[in-house]
Amino acid sequence: MTQNKKSQWLIYTILIILSVFMLFPVLWVLSSSLKSGTELFSWPPTIFPNDITFDNYISAFKEANFGRYLFNTVFVTIVATALTLIINTMSGYALAKFRFKGSTVILILFLSTLMIPLEALMIPMFVVLKTLGLYNSIWGIIIPPAATPTGVFLIRQYILSLPDEMIEAAKMDGANEWQVFMKVIIPLSAPVIATLTIFSVMWRWQDYIWPLIAISDTRLYTLELAIANFVGEYSVDWGPLLAMAVVTMVPMIIVFLFFQRFFVQGIMATGVKE
Amino acid sequence: MKNKIYLLSMVLGLFILLSACSDNSDSTSSDGEGEDEVTLDVIWFSDGNEGEVFKEITDKYTEENPNIKFNIIDTPYDDLMTRIRTRVSGGDAPDLARISGVNHVQEALLDLSPYLEDKQAFLDEFVDVAIPTVERGDKIIGIPTDVTAHGLFYNKEHFEQAGVEVPQSTEDVWNWEEFKQALTQVKENSDARFALAYDLSPSRYSTLIYQNGGSIFSDDQQSLVINNSESVEALEYFKDLHDQELIPSSIWLGGENPNSLFRSGQAAMHFSGNWNIQSYEENADFEWGVTYMPEGSQRSSVAGGKQIVGFNDSEHKDAVADFLLYFSSQEVNAEFVKESSFLSTRADNAELDYEVRSEEMKVFADELAVTSELPTLDWENPNMPSVETLITENVQKVLSGDIEPQEAMDELVDNVELEN
Amino acid sequence: MKTRSWVPYAFLLPNMLIFGIFVGLPAIYGVYYSFTEWDGISSPVFIGLENFRHILTDPNFLDMLKRTFIYVVLVVPFTVISALGLAWLLTRKIKFANFFRTIFYLPVMISFIVIGLMWNWILQVDTGLINYLLSLISIDPINWLLDPVMANISVIIVTIWARVGFFMVIFIAGLQNISPTLYEAADIDGASDRVKFFKITFPMLKPITLLVIILSFIEFFKTFALVVSLTGGGPINSTKYYVQYTYDVGFNQGEFGVGSALSLILFIIMAVITLIQWKISDGGRV
Repeated sequence: MTQNKKSQWLIYTILIILSVFMLFPVLWVLSSSLKSGTELFSWPPTIFPNDITFDNYISAFKEANFGRYLFNTVFVTIVATALTLIINTMSGYALAKFRFKGSTVILILFLSTLMIPLEALMIPMFVVLKTLGLYNSIWGIIIPPAATPTGVFLIRQYILSLPDEMIEAAKMDGANEWQVFMKVIIPLSAPVIATLTIFSVMWRWQDYIWPLIAISDTRLYTLELAIANFVGEYSVDWGPLLAMAVVTMVPMIIVFLFFQRFFVQGIMATGVKE
Repeated sequence: MKNKIYLLSMVLGLFILLSACSDNSDSTSSDGEGEDEVTLDVIWFSDGNEGEVFKEITDKYTEENPNIKFNIIDTPYDDLMTRIRTRVSGGDAPDLARISGVNHVQEALLDLSPYLEDKQAFLDEFVDVAIPTVERGDKIIGIPTDVTAHGLFYNKEHFEQAGVEVPQSTEDVWNWEEFKQALTQVKENSDARFALAYDLSPSRYSTLIYQNGGSIFSDDQQSLVINNSESVEALEYFKDLHDQELIPSSIWLGGENPNSLFRSGQAAMHFSGNWNIQSYEENADFEWGVTYMPEGSQRSSVAGGKQIVGFNDSEHKDAVADFLLYFSSQEVNAEFVKESSFLSTRADNAELDYEVRSEEMKVFADELAVTSELPTLDWENPNMPSVETLITENVQKVLSGDIEPQEAMDELVDNVELEN
Repeated sequence: MKTRSWVPYAFLLPNMLIFGIFVGLPAIYGVYYSFTEWDGISSPVFIGLENFRHILTDPNFLDMLKRTFIYVVLVVPFTVISALGLAWLLTRKIKFANFFRTIFYLPVMISFIVIGLMWNWILQVDTGLINYLLSLISIDPINWLLDPVMANISVIIVTIWARVGFFMVIFIAGLQNISPTLYEAADIDGASDRVKFFKITFPMLKPITLLVIILSFIEFFKTFALVVSLTGGGPINSTKYYVQYTYDVGFNQGEFGVGSALSLILFIIMAVITLIQWKISDGGRV
């Protein structure tokens, strides 16, 4: 028992030290975003702002069309994530639980697209987008990045470890393929779907290079594009940039906290099942 | 288990509903344009408030020409070329763009000469250093909007503390040796942690080359001469300032931001350019001024500049050309440069009264006045994009002590295959 | 599994379609461009293997390749092991587990541009927060971004800081999938934590571990935005890795033919390495 307690303390100590390392840059950004233009670069630096000011937030909101960008970003994030979840889960299931001609080839093909640096393909991607009439449309930001190889791979690796017997049993009960997918696979994959949700939300929320080329109508800008616009040729407009960075972080934290619960429920589901 | 499925399908249903609704609202909002209305796409980047000034000018233009509207696309400077290239080669060229040097995209730019009655008379309206930035062969592929000049900011409080006088007129500019002594004194006798913040930029670096009577390309622009003795001496001097710790090497080697060193009062001087005036005016809480840069064998600055260009593939070339000529007219140009604290490219706007820091702007204007056309020709050389990265790299190698100045510059010259 | 033959294809279709159109097709274009001389503006001119010859005989390319390999070889194991360690700690019965998970995941929520700018600022030699705090306890300033070797170490630290939470979450999902009855059985046998980890946790996690290794490997080989805003590739190119090099060649120097060829070479390198990992692990089933 004492052995156990000791190891508990050790764990907490490690976790707290690591937490400080993870947290301090973020807190530094938060604290800096509340400083005035002159205090921001003062030497020696002030750990906490002497005078808390919200000027940076106000000018970030004013300069950037914040409400509009926020709406665009939320819309893109939600719709793209829904789309990603549906198509990635379907593909991941097909690649994990069916043996069919070309399955390995398809998987390798999916995986290999991860290896192409998209930065090098922007011009042909733009041509395709434009040909399909999706250029400068919010669907142009949503659809192309939805077929994420990472998501397919993540789901496939997870479903691989689910027992085949569950599927067989459902089929014995007369379930068709779609019902097996909806009623057996999806519920059992709750933890990994929650994981992919967290990732997809984050990917879309932070997507920068794709919206940059897919959109030229400023009414369709996302927050990330707006943040980058604070960087000029000679100078960076630090104050509003930091403020905007803080503001964009908050919704992510909420999403993470919410979907984390599904991990915990994942355990309970498995517990009940056995 | 069942509950979860219901929850999931409900959430999905909601998404779809939501997406359907917003789709409608999107398509109606973009339908607003009438038949004759033209919207010009302008790719823009900003360092200070020039974006707002430009917006005001375009609004005024729209008032006079109600069928012309502008869609100003703010773009981070680093991604400017990415965005322009992608759109040009993807068959959706923008109508206008603000750029810093036409070299990267000159093939795609609209020639303005067919829209001009007298080409030479049009060019003559501009100052000498601005003309090479838009003249390519017998084409005029854009209008120079503002010139930038390199110059020297100083912190008055530090210089008073140290009892060092800065040159007050063009009569008593420092030579390089005096400049070094002044830096040493101000570092030793004031609160400044560093004497000089020197921008990490091949163009800022090249100022020293021109001050010493050297150049990057030969006079006929056909070969590289950056390894001749004048240019190498400039590099030796630059290295010496670093070795004496007058310039912190963290800027050129570690990406330290020279602007923040100066505006936080840590560096007594900043070797930079006139574009900092607005930001220092707003953010520096000490007295500062601008003084003359030191002279080597001669005084020299480097004229940089921005252009607004039209594109060949634009569907509204007439409107583009009309707006460009409007924007380069004396009155509009004066408004643009005055409110943005820029130096004008127009000869007849050489003496403007700036609302902000008029005295300091005069020093920058004087730096330009003593500068020959040579720096501009060098920096407009089509080979410059590949040469400038090598300049930065080789200067960094020298500063970090990897190789000697002469060796570094010889190596640079050997590594470049000049085109044209 | 017995099933009608079209079923798996139907499940694959939507994803394949989007992927094929928006990524597959442009990739084929990219292959074509790699055999051309093209500035991204005028039309491409076919020049055969000239771009590849140019690249493979360029000493700068070989230097850069070596640099990228060293970075990847160092950063992948550190990230994977830390992510696994954190996931393991945070799925034990401890208080505030959710709180800690959120903290470790926090950096993943910040965009690379902001992370790079922020750490660049914190790591500055003369004005950075860390060296300032060190000076308060009389430690000499560290040349974080100033010296080529230290700059690489800084990039590795920041990469791990930024990405460990992402891979930790994948491991957590995998750990949640291990049936608690296995651990209960082991408890009855009186197995220690270490035995449980190596006999139950680790074997059960193999497919997920492979996933994390492959994903992290691919991601770090393509590291770009983070380094650009952290070091800009400096000092003297010492942290300029593969994708930044390619991007510079394409968008900054206007050599899209060479840039496309570089991408194709990167693709081949990564495909070979992934195939090897795949064979070793028997198709990811392990």
